[in-house]
Amino acid sequence: MTADPGSFRDPDSQLHVDDQGRVLRALTPRAVERWDAVEPSAALRELVETGRIVRSTRLGAGALPGAAEVLEHERIPAITYPYEWSFSMLRDAALLELDVLRRLLDDGLILSDGTLYNVAFRGPRPVFIDVGSLRPADSGEPWAGYRQFCMQALFPLMLQAFRGVSPRPWLRGAIEGITPAEVRALLRGRDLLRRGVPGHVVLHARLERREARRRPGEVRKELAKAGFSAEIVKANADRLRRLVARLRWSPPASPWDGYHEAGVYDDAAHERKQAFVSEVAATRRWTMAWDVGCHDGRYSRIVAPHAGSVIAFDTDEPTVDRLYRELRDEDVENVLPLVHDLADPSPGLGWGLRERRPLADRARPDLVLMLAVIHHLAIGRSIPLPALLDWLRDLGATAVVEFPHPEDPMAASLIGRKDPGTHDAYTLEAFEAEVARRFTVERRELLPGGTRTLYLVTPT
Amino acid sequence: MFALLLGYIDPGSGSMLLQALLGGSAAIAVAAKLYWRRILTVLRIRKPQQSEQPKH
Repeated sequence: MTADPGSFRDPDSQLHVDDQGRVLRALTPRAVERWDAVEPSAALRELVETGRIVRSTRLGAGALPGAAEVLEHERIPAITYPYEWSFSMLRDAALLELDVLRRLLDDGLILSDGTLYNVAFRGPRPVFIDVGSLRPADSGEPWAGYRQFCMQALFPLMLQAFRGVSPRPWLRGAIEGITPAEVRALLRGRDLLRRGVPGHVVLHARLERREARRRPGEVRKELAKAGFSAEIVKANADRLRRLVARLRWSPPASPWDGYHEAGVYDDAAHERKQAFVSEVAATRRWTMAWDVGCHDGRYSRIVAPHAGSVIAFDTDEPTVDRLYRELRDEDVENVLPLVHDLADPSPGLGWGLRERRPLADRARPDLVLMLAVIHHLAIGRSIPLPALLDWLRDLGATAVVEFPHPEDPMAASLIGRKDPGTHDAYTLEAFEAEVARRFTVERRELLPGGTRTLYLVTPT
Repeated sequence: MFALLLGYIDPGSGSMLLQALLGGSAAIAVAAKLYWRRILTVLRIRKPQQSEQPKH
């Protein structure tokens, strides 16, 4: 039994994962009182039935030592973070949070915070996972999560929609998100007149500076006295929803647009590669597959019917965003696209570096596809082949790896950008020798064209 | 009652007041009341609340 190191902020409701991988939530008596009010509501039933909130079952006080009640939550294959989501994913997660809030308000309930870390993706669908933050609302109470929602959802989306700047490095660097003062300083000229900016950004930053010394409890009393009501919270949630739904991002042209069609491969090579992946995928049922450098997701789609879930990741955000929108509209249920760079991966963050964890700690794969990606890492990012294969070996998964030989047109073009001799160690012989030290090669196939080899390897 | 509802996150005093100003038609009366109090305070017709004087 381990307490989730990312679940300590709400002392009344703490997550644990037991030896069988069950997700359990220990409630204090205060949290049980809240849950007693939330559980019978039509709002919760509806939100669970439509897949927008994870399903929870009461196990009774005895299930965890010291808990007044224990809830077991439906397990989500991979918890992912806002800095791994593309623009459309971030926006859909924000809309889900507002929809959950709005439905709860109708039944006299509210969310006690507004963090996007309360949302996970199940395939291409966002789902609200922090059941502990549902509680009865008090009339005269504003939404305590509004500021957090702005910092982690609205401001990052505005930054990307209005300035074309990715908020991902920022969200990864600052666990709380972007403050009103920071986004105010970043927006300029006509951005300041755009819908939502004068209120949520400009006035927000000003009020925050002016009211910094006042205690929230006093402001709450003052608001209640002035007649602040649940109707205002509802109106705010509706307006925020309309605002977020209108935000659009026009990505710059991506160098990877049309990559597969660019004539690097002939059709025969494509067909062999697809057949290889499809044969490997069908050999057994996989729990979790990773498609590293997924591009348009064609190999993720091939593996999907044979896997519990697939994480398709790529460094190029426009590519991931397009894949996400396609999967969402196609009704593919178990492929989760992510913006993730193996050479600059999601680190441990927050308290003790364990509040947010590296991807492999959250979603360990038993099948890894590394197709048309090794040369980008080994040559483009200068990761030595032994280090790259050490990383793959540490995952402990079966892997399908494509090695473009140094004379392959794509590999040669990457090598040609560096000083002559820089990548002399990048050879087929060196690659095969390093593979043999760590893996058993189950299958090997030279692709038509003669400059790329596919391997099926299992860790020794 | 309110003490119970203060959660584990800092909702931000400015962020809470802002919600009374952005709530559209539902919020007009509340915003007017809030700021009427302040106007009276500024004109010294009404005593400032103790809480508005920061203590150090």
